[in-house]
Amino acid sequence: MHRRQFILGTAALAAALVAAGCSAPSAENTGKAGTLRYAAVGSPATASHDPHGGLGNESDAMRFALLYDVLTVPGEQGTEPRLATSWTPDESLTNWRIELRDDATFTDGEPVTAADVLFSLRRMHEKAAENYGRMGMFDLAASEAKGEHTLRLITRTPFAEVGQALESATFIVPEGSEDFSEPVTGSGPFRMDSGDAEAAVLARNDDWWGPRPPLERIEIRAIADPQARADAVASGQADVAGSVNPAAARTAEQEGLRVVHRQGVTVYPLVMRLDSEPFDDERVREAVKLAVDREQLLDTVFLGQGTLAGDLLTPADPTAPEPPERTRDLDRARELLTEAGYGDGLDLTLKTTTAYPGMDDAATLIAGQLEPAGVNITVDVVPQDTYWTEVYAQEAFYVSYLGGISFLDVARVALLPDSPTNETAWGGGGWAERFDEAMAEKDEPKRAELLGALQRELAEDGGYVVWAAGDGLDLARPGVSGLPTGPGFQRLFIDQVRVDSR
Amino acid sequence: MIGVVPRACARAMLVLFAVAVGVFLVTDVLPGDAALARTRGGAGAAELARLRAESGMDGPVWERFARWGWALLRGDAGTSLLNDRPVSTLIGERLPATLTLAACALVVAVPLLLALSWWAGGRAARSYGGGALAAVAAIPQVVVAAGAVAVFSGLLGWLPRVSLLPIGAPPWHDPALLVLPALSLALPAAAYGAGLLSGAVADVRALPHVDDAVLRGIPRWRIATRHALPLLWAPAIRVVAVIAGGLIAATTVVETVFGYTGLGELLVSSVASRDVPVVQAVALLGAVVVVTGGAVADLARGIRA
Repeated sequence: MHRRQFILGTAALAAALVAAGCSAPSAENTGKAGTLRYAAVGSPATASHDPHGGLGNESDAMRFALLYDVLTVPGEQGTEPRLATSWTPDESLTNWRIELRDDATFTDGEPVTAADVLFSLRRMHEKAAENYGRMGMFDLAASEAKGEHTLRLITRTPFAEVGQALESATFIVPEGSEDFSEPVTGSGPFRMDSGDAEAAVLARNDDWWGPRPPLERIEIRAIADPQARADAVASGQADVAGSVNPAAARTAEQEGLRVVHRQGVTVYPLVMRLDSEPFDDERVREAVKLAVDREQLLDTVFLGQGTLAGDLLTPADPTAPEPPERTRDLDRARELLTEAGYGDGLDLTLKTTTAYPGMDDAATLIAGQLEPAGVNITVDVVPQDTYWTEVYAQEAFYVSYLGGISFLDVARVALLPDSPTNETAWGGGGWAERFDEAMAEKDEPKRAELLGALQRELAEDGGYVVWAAGDGLDLARPGVSGLPTGPGFQRLFIDQVRVDSR
Repeated sequence: MIGVVPRACARAMLVLFAVAVGVFLVTDVLPGDAALARTRGGAGAAELARLRAESGMDGPVWERFARWGWALLRGDAGTSLLNDRPVSTLIGERLPATLTLAACALVVAVPLLLALSWWAGGRAARSYGGGALAAVAAIPQVVVAAGAVAVFSGLLGWLPRVSLLPIGAPPWHDPALLVLPALSLALPAAAYGAGLLSGAVADVRALPHVDDAVLRGIPRWRIATRHALPLLWAPAIRVVAVIAGGLIAATTVVETVFGYTGLGELLVSSVASRDVPVVQAVALLGAVVVVTGGAVADLARGIRA
């Protein structure tokens, strides 16, 4: 008797709750023309107002790209001007004259000057520990402002790609800005309207020098869980979701949402350190590269939404060569392992994590694929809290991650002897010297060719197995147009996106 | 009667101090620190040392604890080691969202908990009630949340699948967003709380005067409110306090599933990045709720005695 009462009571309670929730959907759930609601990748707890730090949250970087001017941006045909109108080297390629626009102003009315630019670049350099030494190629102490809108930048070595080095992350703040616990004044296409780092509302800055943004307001939220980002668009609480999982993208496409592909930007390379056994033997590396089943990995981890990469680390880079043909050849792999002295088997531990969707699946698949070649792999899934500090650039055999940054950036961060995270101990055998030669080459087509050759050499002899590059998949409601589709930081620049009235 | 209040307060203070020390030590023995998390493996030893010195991460653990505790006593909860924002800001931004969600969950959980414990503490359910409650309480929140989403958003289409809080409006601005997260929190919490309370209920229901009332045919609700409840105040308050403390600090799973930014997400992210001042602040908030409830229960018992 009383049990029935209890069940009835519970049911009534639930019904009352549901009824309370069944009130008409509020204004938040229907998009408005002129406003874009973007669910971006980011952990709300680590959201930051500092545009010169690590930019670990995409939601932050995207907000900064709207609040602040940057010197240059990546374009279809290479670097394009933004706040910097020209960058001209001297004969030695170490002394660059940067001309700035003279019509850029901060939202407090002050003009943007060379002093502000130099202050911002120096601040980025001070925070090198956090941003992987993004300004490492410059000698900023020796650089100087040569007037209101002219800057002299000194590079440490001949460096032909200064335009590219100043792309995307060079957020300019007023000289002397000190407190970054709150948003600092900017001069970009939008300004801070309300909210905070983890969920911000930005309003159009009508005084911006550039093309007038079609949108009046952009809301950017940090949402860590990819499924929650996809659900936000599916349930009408957001217009765009950045970087969703292939499976969620497929489902959403069937429900009539649009999937924007950013081609070949996500790679989970298998890392083999050249200075540790058994990977110091090139025959072992070659055997592993021959034994993996790249098509199966592409189909399973990225659901086929990507391209085979032939071990090119940055296949989306404009200077990337044709990928080397890599066909699976277990017989040859076994032969090579026998030659290297591992005829009766090779036991390895492969570390992976769950930081990005499919990293753990990739490791499990690779373990299964290498078994017929006589390599016995134990997969060790390390929590993502400690993966980037304990495994990344420390261990000899693990699954790494790259999110579509340019070849030059990867080289600076991970491929040269003085790189902060040279995870495969690469750069010997004259490669680093040839890299410097390429950067000292004035002729652009010739330089691109040299850079392509360097990438090919890394693919053939290096310690990276790059089986495929997955597409970046962004989800959008119908009516959103002009979302960026390019590689790397291009995805941050959404100031020209439009939303048609629905 | 005299001495009950100071004693309860002293006990509460001791417990809070123990929690503060415990959480600090546990966070300290975890591998890695905030400097490593902040530089994500991209910094050399010298740079790391500089970063640690700048943000007071160097020195022995007792010294760091003393510095933190002294600042807190002066009302300064410090700044995040990860993004340099004041801890009070980080907490303040999320507190309304968490309190709103916790309140909604308690509104469902408390009556449900009392009803369930009454049922499980009765003779009829004595044999299997505890087991059933334990089984329900053991269902992970994520499963409850997924089930609720499947039914109310998927099948019925009544409620949104995620609950993104409106920017610049209070969290209760759109009540529909709160239903599923609150239900996902309330159901396991009620089962867990009922499991804790059913023993006390069973003892009370077995008392002679309660038994006697049953035999005299007094209506069940009168027995519950008149005869049993006065004896159950203290344990009930204690159980509700434990649950409320959990709702303050341990709502991470539900927050993740629904994209709801509250204190739980802050706690887990801060533990992951070893952001000690933030971890301490959130953990202490949860502890304050539990301890306050415990103190109130002590007072209730003491005053009755």
